[in-house]
Amino acid sequence: MFLAWNEMKSAKLRFLLIIGVLTLMSYLVFLLSGLANGLAELNREAVDQWGADAIVLSDESNINLPQSSMTIQAAQNISAKDKAQIAQILLVARKSGTKIKESVAITGIQKDQFLMPKISEGRAFTTNNEVVADDSLKADGLKIGDQLNISSSNQKLIIVGFTKNAKFNAASVLYTTQSTVQKIKYGKANASGKGLINGVVLRDPNFAHLKVNSKLKLTPIETFIENMPGYTPQKISLDFMIYFLFVIVSVTIGIFLYVLTIQKVSIFGVMKAQGISSGFLIRSVMAQTFLLALFGVVVGFVLTTITGLFLPAAVPIQLNLPALLVYGLIFILVATLGSLFSVQTIVKIDPVQAIGG
Amino acid sequence: MSILQIQNASKIYGSGHTQVNALKPTHFIAESGELIAVIGPSGSGKSTFLTIAGGLQKPTEGSVLINDQDVTKLNERKRSRIRLREVGFILQASNLIPYLTVENQFRLLDKVKKGNMKPNETENLLKQLGIEDLVKKYPADLSGGEKQRVAIAKALYTKPSLLLADEPTASLDSNRAFEVMSILSLEVKEKNKAAIMVTHDHRLTKYCDKVFTIVDGQLSQTVNEDQTETP
Repeated sequence: MFLAWNEMKSAKLRFLLIIGVLTLMSYLVFLLSGLANGLAELNREAVDQWGADAIVLSDESNINLPQSSMTIQAAQNISAKDKAQIAQILLVARKSGTKIKESVAITGIQKDQFLMPKISEGRAFTTNNEVVADDSLKADGLKIGDQLNISSSNQKLIIVGFTKNAKFNAASVLYTTQSTVQKIKYGKANASGKGLINGVVLRDPNFAHLKVNSKLKLTPIETFIENMPGYTPQKISLDFMIYFLFVIVSVTIGIFLYVLTIQKVSIFGVMKAQGISSGFLIRSVMAQTFLLALFGVVVGFVLTTITGLFLPAAVPIQLNLPALLVYGLIFILVATLGSLFSVQTIVKIDPVQAIGG
Repeated sequence: MSILQIQNASKIYGSGHTQVNALKPTHFIAESGELIAVIGPSGSGKSTFLTIAGGLQKPTEGSVLINDQDVTKLNERKRSRIRLREVGFILQASNLIPYLTVENQFRLLDKVKKGNMKPNETENLLKQLGIEDLVKKYPADLSGGEKQRVAIAKALYTKPSLLLADEPTASLDSNRAFEVMSILSLEVKEKNKAAIMVTHDHRLTKYCDKVFTIVDGQLSQTVNEDQTETP
């Protein structure tokens, strides 16, 4: 640490440039992780709000809630500890008298079951065609009392309340009664306890032991999320970019440190002649890398935080501290591993040649 | 007590018709309290002799004992430890680390070895060498002579029993050169070290107890006519 730090102090510009490169890389890693996170949230935040363990869908739906269909009868036969019926249709809603259009997931639930969201503004729906909407719609100019026209249906909905964090597969959720969904889907509401819904959401840690009939399929909630259209490919793409960046970081700093080490062969040779061990020199190079990466990560983190404050709300970026910390640590770790490129060079330095013997 | 014993050591580089006998079979002993000069033209094998004496490289044949330890039987790791504990190098190409201030040059040695000079000893040494005001400076800000003196201080700092110097007075004026020689001489006598100095400056031999010449890898002792002091 002593050698590393003193060298950095005496050649500030050189090391500031390297820190600059590492800063940009860590900045990129952080932003990508924020973006990956944000996109994932966009798909799953409503589901996360449910706090559910599993979901029962029809076997033919390919674990896709809007495509699933089952009778309320079948739903009632599932013997889970805590369950909630869900009906859903993905549509486009337009604010009456305007051109404001939104992709929405109209989600029919029962008020006394656990899917009922927390109301952040306004009130809960009480009759058909009243909806509690995702909070993010406010940014697009929707407010309580607004009427919504629904594509492919003559039903009109009225926003009576808002709830936070209710995006489902990138669509804003409108929570309403199950009859409302039935009316939109089939033109008329069924009598209570009759008709079709999409699925049943379960809160039961022991769901694996439940038996469902052969036309239904029990799916853990995490698998359900991964099977949302687009969710996994998006996530894999961004994750892959992040992993690849880590490799690039490791190689880049490895090359930097290697070049620096080559430049210092004669100095290292002199030190070895004096009896300073290769181990000490290797530790010093690794300490230097660690410091460079640490500074790069800290500055990158500050830049990311500032950027997060100034990005428009439309950018789906979600910076969460634990994830950034983990990525920061991995960053420092892979950078330090990169310095191992130089180990062989240091070990092979012959003090006799280095001092011109 | 002999600090350095070189027994029948020789060094051959290359093989066949490119073979170079850099050092012919050599016997050499440096007792404690001895300051020894090795004089020879460039290319005579002085540096080879010095690097073998300091355990930097192994001779092709023969053995080298530093404080009775045969360094030719040790691996680089162990030789490195012996160099750190027992040997002080004063190299022609200055052995200073460019990115450390003078005081940090000493601090670095504290990081790798215990039992170095205490602060007051260091202060005295720096005063003797006339470099006590340079402690905050980087090597690049020092003159050739100042660098040389810092290098000497650095070699003495670890209290080695064997000092090996390659042209220690090369970039010093006569007065400073004589001063440095008396410091080396004093250090050797007072603390029972042995010092070997490679030079081609005949004026310095009067400080030395023994003088050797080396020509084409052949080391031989000469009568030291300039010897003025007796130990």
